[in-house]
Amino acid sequence: MALFRLIGTGGVIAYRALFNWTTPAMFIGSLLVGPIFQLLFFAYLGRQLGVADDRFYVVGNAVLAASLSCVFGGTMAVANERRFGTLGHVLLSPRSRTAVFLSRVLPYAGNGLLIAVSTLTVGALLLGLRVPPEALPALLATLAVAALSCGFFGLTLGALGLRFRDVWVVSNVSVALLLLLTGVNVPAAGLPGWMRAVGEGLPITHAVRAARHLAAGDGFAAAGPALAAEAGVGLGYAVLAAVLLKAFEAESRRRASLDTL
Amino acid sequence: MIGVGALLHTRQLSRSPFEIATALIVPVVQATLAVYLCRAGGEPGRLLEAAVGAGLMGVWSSVLFGSGGAIQNQRWQGTLEMLMLAPRPPALVIFPITLSTAVTGTYAMLATLLWGRLLYGVPLTFAHPLLFLVAAPGCVLGLGMFGLLLASTFVLMRNANALANTLEYPIWLVSGMLVPLTVLPGWTGPIAAALPTWGARAVHEAASGGPVWPSLGICLAISLGCLAAGALMMTYVERRARAAATLALA
Repeated sequence: MALFRLIGTGGVIAYRALFNWTTPAMFIGSLLVGPIFQLLFFAYLGRQLGVADDRFYVVGNAVLAASLSCVFGGTMAVANERRFGTLGHVLLSPRSRTAVFLSRVLPYAGNGLLIAVSTLTVGALLLGLRVPPEALPALLATLAVAALSCGFFGLTLGALGLRFRDVWVVSNVSVALLLLLTGVNVPAAGLPGWMRAVGEGLPITHAVRAARHLAAGDGFAAAGPALAAEAGVGLGYAVLAAVLLKAFEAESRRRASLDTL
Repeated sequence: MIGVGALLHTRQLSRSPFEIATALIVPVVQATLAVYLCRAGGEPGRLLEAAVGAGLMGVWSSVLFGSGGAIQNQRWQGTLEMLMLAPRPPALVIFPITLSTAVTGTYAMLATLLWGRLLYGVPLTFAHPLLFLVAAPGCVLGLGMFGLLLASTFVLMRNANALANTLEYPIWLVSGMLVPLTVLPGWTGPIAAALPTWGARAVHEAASGGPVWPSLGICLAISLGCLAAGALMMTYVERRARAAATLALA
């Protein structure tokens, strides 16, 4: 029970304290409106170049929309503790820091899901995409898995904040790389082999594949393997984040560099 | 004063790993994306256009985030009071900062062109090479002037970052930096025409062919209007902040 309280209440309190976008204007501007324009930008670019149809871009960018809050949120969950001078207090806690930090991903994943759903809905309405109604529950599950996977990816980047000063550079570059490597905007077949290989290890890639199957009406059987792969990637990042947090915490204590900015 | 100020702030921005990484790496990723999109669409002839477009996107991002946060950054550094105490109009003190964000953005243009040439063999055969050397600085200057209006407007908003985040893709979209305006809905035309994004058009025309001077002229005319509006706004904001003793308060 105490663990669930730590995960639930602790995660929400940390979210409210550390997530810099939580004022309504910032939330709507950055996280709800921004991704819609991103979707339109790539949809019109794709149309003009004849790369793919609107469905490709609406579904792809809707899934990718979850990444913005999750990657930056995961980074903020650790890096902002240091910036606000509270990192030492968290690490002094007698509770499991692995649970403390991993629990912080949940609110961000919830955010990511909300943003992805809103982007998909508005994108579909603006560009006239029809999604089979029977595909909606599985599509929602896919977006949720993608959001969780991105959250753990963000936390992994955030863990680097215990060791490196300019972790925001890493987050910004990572978000840009997700645009390129996940096959959201360029069909995977059009990318070189090594980019495809890197993309396979990133969040979003498999979820986009699953979502495109579902939106095309192929059914859950076709989307299942990709969805499982996305869950596997997310789990991998969760483990990696936990290991890095533990290792960097020990290293920071040893070198007395916890609050070094 | 504008020259020395712009140089000082450009050198300061060039010391920031965050600014450099944002100005160099992100546009290069976008240029790579544009290259693969052109290849996937079977239009390899447009690779130069894509590289130039990605560079322009980087310049705009630098101006948007740099100028949008120009005053706030000075406030955080504790130098805003000193700047406002200078015996010069406030616009003249802040304009070099916004100009420097545009100059820093040119790293993006250089990076995307070099990246395209060295990695993807994009031929740097500009239709008007000399005009390109005029249009690119003209575009940077125009965006720097627009930056002053952004800086003076954003300082009044508590959540200016939200607006900056929201404005990035819409301006990329309607300015024709990468997506031709002809494929956009007709109602976006007047919006695009009112923005100082004619500079982007001039740069594209210098690279791919077209009448550069009219676009560049319109860009500079609109930008001068932005500079005048920004200067008025800056004077108003400064007086209001002095009267209310809120200059140092976020």
